[in-house]
Amino acid sequence: MTAWSYYIATLTVYFGVNVLSALSLNLQFGFAGVVNFGYIIFQAVGAYIAAVVVLGPSSGTFQQYVFGARLPFGVALLLATAAGAVLSLLIGLFSLRNIRRDYQAAILLIISLIGTQVVQGYVPLFNGSNGITGVPRPLSALPLNLQQYQWAYAGWVLLAAGIVYAVVTWLSRSAWGRALRATRDQEDAAAAIGLNVTALRLQVFVIGGAVAGLSGGLLVEYIGAWSPDAWGYAETFVIFTALFVGGIGNYRGAVLGVLLVPIIFLEVPRFLPQVGYPGLMDSVEWIAIGAAWMLCLYFRPQGIVPERRNRARRGEAAPHAAPVRERVGAA
Amino acid sequence: MLLVARDVVVAYGGVRAVNGVSVDLAPAASLGLIGPNGAGKSSFLGALGGQVPLTGGSIELEGYEIGDLPAFKRARRGITRTFQMTSEFARMTVFENLITAGHGATGASLRNVVLRRSETRQAERDVATLAWAILDRFEMSHVADLYGAELSGGQRRLVEIMRCLMREPKVLLLDEPMVGVAPHLVEKLITDLRSIRDDGIALVIVEHALEVVQELCSRVVVMALGRPIAAGSFDEVVADPAVQAAYVG
Repeated sequence: MTAWSYYIATLTVYFGVNVLSALSLNLQFGFAGVVNFGYIIFQAVGAYIAAVVVLGPSSGTFQQYVFGARLPFGVALLLATAAGAVLSLLIGLFSLRNIRRDYQAAILLIISLIGTQVVQGYVPLFNGSNGITGVPRPLSALPLNLQQYQWAYAGWVLLAAGIVYAVVTWLSRSAWGRALRATRDQEDAAAAIGLNVTALRLQVFVIGGAVAGLSGGLLVEYIGAWSPDAWGYAETFVIFTALFVGGIGNYRGAVLGVLLVPIIFLEVPRFLPQVGYPGLMDSVEWIAIGAAWMLCLYFRPQGIVPERRNRARRGEAAPHAAPVRERVGAA
Repeated sequence: MLLVARDVVVAYGGVRAVNGVSVDLAPAASLGLIGPNGAGKSSFLGALGGQVPLTGGSIELEGYEIGDLPAFKRARRGITRTFQMTSEFARMTVFENLITAGHGATGASLRNVVLRRSETRQAERDVATLAWAILDRFEMSHVADLYGAELSGGQRRLVEIMRCLMREPKVLLLDEPMVGVAPHLVEKLITDLRSIRDDGIALVIVEHALEVVQELCSRVVVMALGRPIAAGSFDEVVADPAVQAAYVG
């Protein structure tokens, strides 16, 4: 029972973190059309920053890292969020300028690969391939046993995900969110009606990066360690698959996709009988995720929960999202 | 003069697609740009709208040099346009297509949305009112909730044009507005464009269908190989031997 409780609580934490990732990518890709194939490095920078600012100064022997400090975990989360935003700003400033969007996606994927190499190769930065361990648990002073603590943390991550959900939903429904969708659908036409496409993309990239940094901070404070193995470029594609399966351009679809893809595809195989050589089932997981993405693109490109149609009403300021029950026939 | 373009040059690598074209435009003027394929008409329109960088020459709007401004800044100053391939926002409804254009220079900015919430709400109401007025004027209210991608070719053209009107422009650039429009709707679109012009908006129209140019444009510039070869009224330019030679080859 305890083992199950521990397992479910851990899954809940991962679910919350993945929801944050999906919210970030859905804002960037689903609403603004920015294909952030480098997503995982913005989560990683948040995790590293959240880790080093609570670990205390680097001893230089056991593990080496920069920015060593001993700050409260709440401050660490804020710094993780800021780190995701700042890195996004720096990368966005040169990768989002007047370049075709498919090239932007390629650039971001390459930056993600370079990021892993740099952190692995330059050990003084974040302790190289071994990664950083021993990150103290926040609120360990609370009188909770391990199981209670797990669930308290899971609740805290879900609360954070819920708050971010509310904020990004509100932003997406605003006039600003509409401007993002216009740049997504037709860049030149958006500019021709006065929208500053580059600025809008950069804004959404930085907001998404901040959410990514927060998700990394929340995850590292739970698992207590972070290494380059945790943020391979493929992790980005798990979240993209979740978005495509769930439905792009709406946040309920994003949450559903996160429930289905990273949780079911990565967890269910653990309970299947291990067949073939060791590691075969792990490979099958990745094949299943790739296949899910392709099948979804082929058979249901709008995803399980499609983007909602916003119906207009005379006398109302802006149309609200309403479920489409009947298909509106072309007039 | 509202818009003055002088010796506009647009070069792609070593090729001069537009090589020294000048036009003047008064409010409520309608200028037709015609010429055979490859004459540089669309490039010239792009140079006016800011989609194509200017290699040489100058463009002034109300006495203000706009030749080096990006497209969105020109739009904020009053030049907007439609595209040869219709450019409706396909996954937004017709109504959303319109209100997205209606927020003025910075109304939809993140800062206003977050910090000036009551002003933004008021602006949203004003924009919605304007959008309904424009939809009613062009008899498109019944498709307000359709996605751009669900419209016919003619309706897409109208959405593009209505969206431009939401910005209350001074100059409207139209790149082949009749392409993809069903024949029985061409007459309606001409009437609509005439009424827009009568509101005081200057039109610059690139169009292959000469009868449309004849109907709409008080002045016509004929281009061939990047250069203007004739200018005047429609009847004057079609009678010009140089124009006939350019068309026949």
